[in-house]
Amino acid sequence: MKGKICYVCGKENLSKNEIGLHKKLLNKDARTFYCLDCLAEHLEVETEFLLIKIEEFKEQDCKLF
Amino acid sequence: MIYADNAATTRISDRALEKMMPFLREQYGNASSQYSLGAKAKRAIEKSRKQFAEAIGAEPSEIIFTSGGSEANSWLLQCIANIYCNEPIHIITSAIEHHSVLNACHALKQSGVEISVLPVDNLGRVSIQNIKAAINSKTRLVSIMLANNEIGTIQPIEEIARLLQDKDILFHTDAVQAVGHIPVDVKSLNVDFLTASAHKFNGAKGTGILYKRSEVELPPLVFGGQQEHGLRAGTENVAGIVAAGYAIEESVSEMGERANLLRSMVKKTVKGIKEIISCVRINGDCYNQLPGTLNLSFDNISGASLMHLLDLKGVCVSTSSACNAGKDEPSHVLIALGLSEQQANSAIRISYGKYNTLEEVEYIVNAINSAYIKIKSAL
Repeated sequence: MKGKICYVCGKENLSKNEIGLHKKLLNKDARTFYCLDCLAEHLEVETEFLLIKIEEFKEQDCKLF
Repeated sequence: MIYADNAATTRISDRALEKMMPFLREQYGNASSQYSLGAKAKRAIEKSRKQFAEAIGAEPSEIIFTSGGSEANSWLLQCIANIYCNEPIHIITSAIEHHSVLNACHALKQSGVEISVLPVDNLGRVSIQNIKAAINSKTRLVSIMLANNEIGTIQPIEEIARLLQDKDILFHTDAVQAVGHIPVDVKSLNVDFLTASAHKFNGAKGTGILYKRSEVELPPLVFGGQQEHGLRAGTENVAGIVAAGYAIEESVSEMGERANLLRSMVKKTVKGIKEIISCVRINGDCYNQLPGTLNLSFDNISGASLMHLLDLKGVCVSTSSACNAGKDEPSHVLIALGLSEQQANSAIRISYGKYNTLEEVEYIVNAINSAYIKIKSAL
C-alpha cells in the first residue's frame, strides 16, 4: 500500500512522526498531511524546533507518535 | 516566553523567594528542635500563619498548613466521613468542583456516603434553590468552590452560608483560585472550612492551607508529632510556609490595583480576538469572575492544537485545568455549562497574573489570531 504524501510538496511516504505532528498541531482527524518541512513553513518555525517538539510529545506518551 | 497560565501555577514573587531562601540554607533548622535554629524556624512558621490568617480574616490558630490544595480538600472530605462513621451521611457538591473534591466524593460514594453533585447554569453558577432542594436530614457537609479554576466564575458563597446558617451542616469552600486574587474573608463568607494553595498566589509549590473554624473539630490527617496543632504531623516545609506568608501579604496589598490591570488585560484580549475571529465564545460569568481568567471556545478547531501552536510561539496557555491536561476528554466544567463536546474541546484558558504586561497581551492576541488562521487553513 502506498504511504501518505505531503499535499503541498508531494513528498512520499510520510513518516509516523510527520503524520502524528500534523494531527497533533492542526487537526487530529486530518486525512491529508504536511511533511515536516512544509509544516514548519506553514507554522513559521524551524524544522529542528518541530523535531524537538516531537520528542517532547513522545515523552508525554502521546500515542500519535 | 510569555506565561499566561497563572490559574495552573504562578511564578514565585521576588519577595517571597527572598524571604524563603534563608530557610533552605542558613536557617534550615527543624521547627520542632529546641535550640535557637529550631526556634527561629518555628517563629517563622507562626509569623506566616499570622500573615495568612490576617489575609482571610481568621485567627492564626485556625490555619493549618498542608502540602497543597488537593491535600486539604481530600483530607477535609475524608475527615467529615470519618467523624460520622457510625451514621449514614449525605454530602452536597457541584459538578464543576476541582477533581480533588469530586474524586474524593467519588471515593466516599464507593464506601456508602450519599453524594449529590449539583448542576450549574450556563455561566457556571450553582443555584441556591438546588442546594436547598438537595438538603436532607442526613446532609452533613456542603462543599462548593469559591471561584472556578477553568472559567473563573465566582459562586454565591455568602448566600449559601445564609441558607445553611441554622442547620447542622458544615460548609466548605475550595478557595484555591480565589485567595490572593479577590477579597476573601472567612467571617463574611461564614464558612467552616476554606482551602487555599500558595503557588496560586505567587508563593512556592508544596504549601497548602486549610482554614478550620475554631469551634469545629477534625481528626488528624497524619499521626506523629504535634505539628499543625497535632492534626498534620511531620516536619514542616518551613521555606514554603514562609514564602506563603509573604506572598499572601503582597497579593492582598496589591490586589485592587492588580485586579484592575488584569481586567483590562482580559478586555483587551477579547476585543483583539473578536476583531479577527467572530465565532469565539466566552465561557463563564463575565460579570462575576476572577479578574485574570478568560476561557474561550472557537468554532470547529481543537483547543489543544491552538495551545500547541501558541507554545511554538512561546506563549503558555492551557486547554483546561492543569491537573486534567493531557487527558483526551472534554473538560467536565465546560460540559456542565452545557457546551457540546466539540465546543468544550475547542476551548483554551488564558489566565493572567502578577507578571503579565499589556504588551504581552498584544503579542498573545496576535499569536492566537495567527494560530487560528493557520489551523483553519489546514482543515
